[in-house]
Amino acid sequence: MHGYFGAYGLVALLLVVGAVFVTVALTANRLLRPARPTPQKLLTYECGVDPVGGGWAQSYVRYYVFTFLYVVFAVDAVFLFPWATVFAAPGFGVATLVEMFVFLGFLAVGILYAWRKGVLSWA
Amino acid sequence: MSNSAMLLAQAGAEVAKVSTGEAISFWILAPLALGGALGMIFARNAVHSAMFLVLTMLSLGVMYMVQQAPFLGFVQIIVYTGAIMMLFLFVLMLVGRDSSDSVVEVLRGQRVWAAILGIGLAGLLVTGVAEALTSVRPVGLAEQNAGGANVANIGRSVFTDYLFPFELTSALLITAALGAMVLGYTDKSKRRTQRETADARFRGEHDRPSPLPGPGVYATANSVAVPALLPDGSIAPESVSAIIEATASRELATDIETVAGAIPGPDAHALKPAAAKEGDK
Amino acid sequence: MLALQPPPQAPIDAPQIEYSAILPVLILLGAACIGVLVEAFVSKASRWAAQVTLSLLAILGAGLAFVLYVTDSPERGLTTLYRTIAVDRPALFLWGTLLALGLGALLLIADRTVERGGAFVAQAGIRPGTVQDRAQMASGGMQTEVFPLTLFALSGMMIFCAANDLLTMFIALEVLSLPLYLMCGLARRRRLISQESAVKYFLLGAFASAFFLYGLALLYGYAGSVKLADIANAAAGSAASDTLLFGGFGLLVVGLMFKASVGPFHAWTPDVYQGSPTPITAFMAACTKVAAFGGILRVLTVGFESTSWEWRGVLWVVAVASMVIGAVLGLTQTDIKRMLAYSSIAHAGFLLVGALALRPEGLSGTLFYLLTYGFTTLAAFGAVSLVRDSNGEATHLSQWAGLAKRSPVLAWVFAFLLLAMAGIPLTSGFIGKFVVFSAGIQDGMAPLVVIALVASAVAAFFYLRVIVLMFFSDPAPDGPTVTVPGTFTTAAITLGVLVTLVLGLVPAFALDWAGTGTFAF
Repeated sequence: MHGYFGAYGLVALLLVVGAVFVTVALTANRLLRPARPTPQKLLTYECGVDPVGGGWAQSYVRYYVFTFLYVVFAVDAVFLFPWATVFAAPGFGVATLVEMFVFLGFLAVGILYAWRKGVLSWA
Repeated sequence: MSNSAMLLAQAGAEVAKVSTGEAISFWILAPLALGGALGMIFARNAVHSAMFLVLTMLSLGVMYMVQQAPFLGFVQIIVYTGAIMMLFLFVLMLVGRDSSDSVVEVLRGQRVWAAILGIGLAGLLVTGVAEALTSVRPVGLAEQNAGGANVANIGRSVFTDYLFPFELTSALLITAALGAMVLGYTDKSKRRTQRETADARFRGEHDRPSPLPGPGVYATANSVAVPALLPDGSIAPESVSAIIEATASRELATDIETVAGAIPGPDAHALKPAAAKEGDK
Repeated sequence: MLALQPPPQAPIDAPQIEYSAILPVLILLGAACIGVLVEAFVSKASRWAAQVTLSLLAILGAGLAFVLYVTDSPERGLTTLYRTIAVDRPALFLWGTLLALGLGALLLIADRTVERGGAFVAQAGIRPGTVQDRAQMASGGMQTEVFPLTLFALSGMMIFCAANDLLTMFIALEVLSLPLYLMCGLARRRRLISQESAVKYFLLGAFASAFFLYGLALLYGYAGSVKLADIANAAAGSAASDTLLFGGFGLLVVGLMFKASVGPFHAWTPDVYQGSPTPITAFMAACTKVAAFGGILRVLTVGFESTSWEWRGVLWVVAVASMVIGAVLGLTQTDIKRMLAYSSIAHAGFLLVGALALRPEGLSGTLFYLLTYGFTTLAAFGAVSLVRDSNGEATHLSQWAGLAKRSPVLAWVFAFLLLAMAGIPLTSGFIGKFVVFSAGIQDGMAPLVVIALVASAVAAFFYLRVIVLMFFSDPAPDGPTVTVPGTFTTAAITLGVLVTLVLGLVPAFALDWAGTGTFAF
């Protein structure tokens, strides 16, 4: 296991191990457990309350804002990661620090706006 | 790593020679990606469409890794299949899974022409690019990636050549945040406190001073769709939300009927002596 | 593999930035950020005043920085920020135009006298038609986020005109588009049609951006670089397949033409112009057109001049299509905003004639045309916002019958602006058409110019129809009234009318300025 693809061999191995683990665990479970289903038991469990309606509930628009903020952070991380890996390397100096913080400062303005609008507090 | 890098560099210097590993992964991933894309178009359920898109994006991400761009591959998986697809799913669930497209054609024959022209454009692009790429000599990324410097080189590009576009991206992100907030969030600052609402109730601004009864109280089932029973055994219709009534209560109609009368329920006057009852009359 | 050993590299020093050259853009971006903070921290009651003051100061400050730089800017222009931005004479001309038009549009956006509380909804998150929506109709507030959004859009437009590589251009395109998509949906009245226009604009715009991006990718595959100059070099002497070059060029041009609302990529224009709040329509019609054609001029001239023989024929067809669609469909319109939208499509065709000339006269002519058209259309939409009845703006043409009897001033102003759009002498529109068409003839595009002349004659017919309607029909008894505008709208309309008049009478100074230099790269 060496070379460019070899490095991903471990990842592939992990995927295979994960899949096998889940399959084995579930199959063993199925074989070992007693199965006596009744209509009551087959109901979806929802905090002890009988479920009503379908599982596909329409979600509320305010949650969209949270998802969106997550995207902002994800994009942020995309730029932060290369910056973080090279920042301490010789040659990448104060300039990159300033440049990164200009970017982060801009983003912070957006987050600050969201916070002041009360999006981040649970109401 | 360095061995293979040199090998790949040599391979690049000659004409494209695809290694076996790359070929195998391509022939596994490409059908998956293509199948995902087709599934996305043809799936009836919008959420399934989104899931097929996830498959395509994942396949592409792995393909990027295979093509010596590990950072791009991981970004594809983290940002696209992670964050962006989550956004997609949220929007789908916002619209509601059950809402369907209008199938009315405003312009007659529009779909047919759209399909013909779309497939035509796709065919043109694919044949054009395929034809063009036969004459392209791949450079490969081996040199760029030497010593695991893939990410470092990206960092360098971002902070030199593409510094301005990079900084400008933040303006884009703020605008998008502003937009999400403007469209998706209403200012609740004028909302009444609990105290004020209670006062208002007793001043008679609401129909009733007490809150509505909760569903399921004294009833036979523990569900939001089952109306509460009043102390005299009759049902309290207002205890079930109007939204639920519209959908689930139809299924529970028999239950409600049962509770309402078919089965003799607890009677508030049951403990009174029969004689007294007759005397009242 | 994941062990990172960064190779020895040259240190990254602070970038060489010509701050004085890009200061106008930086001021606008900075002010937009402060605007967002104002939204966050200033109390609701004083937000409007704070935002208007800030935005006006920002545009005026940017204008001041611009004037200071222009007076001693280098003749050949310069590139800065690792050659991603080219500040040259055409870019400076466009920046000046954009700043002036942006000021006018901002005045229209800030106005609260024509419609109580302004043309924007108080809370866009409330669903149209609900109880809460009726309650907010009565309130006087507005979504003051439009001010920072306008500044973002304006800075995006300025960067778009000056972008020296396709990647910067793409991000600038998004920076200018995203606020516009959003602001289209914020109308106070007729909210559903406004939201519909926003969705249409957004979906089609995203589609066009995808075309642009795909073209960019193909061009990168061809030239190995996204810089316009490198693409030009590669096109001049590369053995790589031309399929990538022309495929990429075609897709790129689709994206650009969409933004400039050139037919047949115009489908969004009438709906979006009609549905958006009128100040935003004015902003879009004036500024986006300027920015988009600035980008088109730069891409065609810097990146693809050497291959013009191959692609020019296709763009001829596009120009003809745009002129014909604009002029013919404009005839059939019954809504004044839609009519102006088709007029803008026709004008985009005329502008493309100048852009296709690919010679100094074509460049200066197109720049001048953009200047004149921008101010005329800004004032025209400003005037449209004044004719109102109880349901808001009365945009149906039949409601404009006999308007001259109700308000002679507005009727004369609007008639003058329509004549300028038609290209009648003594207005700026005439000079603009003249310089563009003569550049076209000098470049041997006589057939195209003849078609353009016929199209302008057809278009003149529907402008004249409105004038006849205003002056020679009897007003309907329950017709609309003309609101007397406050300072802001009056200033914006006056600015547009004055520029239209002055450039029609003494165009020489602006023409000279437009012709002082070429693109730097």
